[in-house]
Amino acid sequence: MGEFYSVAVAGKKQQADTGTKMIHIGPRTRSTIISKGISTARGQNAYRGLVKVLPGATDARNFTQCDSLLIGDQCGAHTFPYVEAAEPSANLEHEATTSKVSDDQLFYLRTRGMSEEDALNMVVNGFCKDVFQKLPMEFAVEAEALLGITLEGAVG
Amino acid sequence: MLVIRNLHARVDDKPILKGINLEIQAGEVHAIMGPNGSGKSTLSSVLAGRDEYEVTDGEVIYQGQNLLELEPEERAWAGIFLSFQYPVEIPGVKNIYLLKAAVNAVREHRGQPELKAGEFLKLVREKLKIMQMDEAFLHRNVNEGFSGGEKKRNEILQMQLLEPTLALLDETDSGLDVDALKIVGEGINRMRDPSRSVLLVTHYQRLLDIVKPDYVHVLADGEIKLSGDFTLAERLEREGYEGIEAA
Repeated sequence: MGEFYSVAVAGKKQQADTGTKMIHIGPRTRSTIISKGISTARGQNAYRGLVKVLPGATDARNFTQCDSLLIGDQCGAHTFPYVEAAEPSANLEHEATTSKVSDDQLFYLRTRGMSEEDALNMVVNGFCKDVFQKLPMEFAVEAEALLGITLEGAVG
Repeated sequence: MLVIRNLHARVDDKPILKGINLEIQAGEVHAIMGPNGSGKSTLSSVLAGRDEYEVTDGEVIYQGQNLLELEPEERAWAGIFLSFQYPVEIPGVKNIYLLKAAVNAVREHRGQPELKAGEFLKLVREKLKIMQMDEAFLHRNVNEGFSGGEKKRNEILQMQLLEPTLALLDETDSGLDVDALKIVGEGINRMRDPSRSVLLVTHYQRLLDIVKPDYVHVLADGEIKLSGDFTLAERLEREGYEGIEAA
């Protein structure tokens, strides 16, 4: 069972191109990839991943989920999932979503007493929850805090 | 409590509010009724601080301060609560997490100590009971996959927790079946208090049968055309907006 979880942020004019390689060697091997990409300002975020099933890796299974979150309207998100399967019995799934932090979401949270920055953090952390909940508690807290710092000034 | 004078607002250069005058005293419940597109929801959004609406003229004084200068969160801290006509989904964020963050944000600005997890849970359970909501609600993502009625109940639950001084309820009755309407209506009634005011925006009289307003105003084409007591709502139900406007 191979697992890969990631959160990537591209802000300012950054271009991020991140991802993983998952190589299935043995029969009945399984793997999961969950990748979250956040783009703000004029950042461009790309997920690039390879899932490879070698000869002999019969009945290999992979599930890949790529979610992108856009903050503002000058950023972008891209997904490049590569798949190479040498065994016809392989079962490879790929799901991708793109969503945007909406003004409605931020306004809703602000009317509940949260500052604009706290509101954004809440939406972004919700988006990353699938990944953060895999982390040990202490790391998850650190990751959330780091994300908060990274996103400072992303709205307003 | 709230004084609105000659309020004009527009969205994308389209004038929507064209001179609203309204005064709400502490303890009063006012209902704003009116046909679609009359500006009812715009009024509550402007009062809560949504920035896609541009105020072009007039003033709003809330508890002696210029409300229009405040950010939406500052209005929340000052005791204003907006129940949304279309509550917004926040994927991945548990309802209980939002509720706790909201309660503690408002408490902090009122100089009250933060509620501890146990205290908060006790409080929220009490309110859930009033709204006849299951505890499972707390662990679902905010408004995600909620039915129309569940969303509205969740809004009133938030109001109960936040204990606002001025509650703006935007079409809280739409999308509710008879039973849910009663629960929501009674939830609002429980909040009636000499120190608290409510502005109800609605199309229909049915909510007003449960939550009896002190005053009813008819909003049409961005202006309050007519004000009266509860009997005005009954007249509207009988004669329709057109009948009233013609009179």
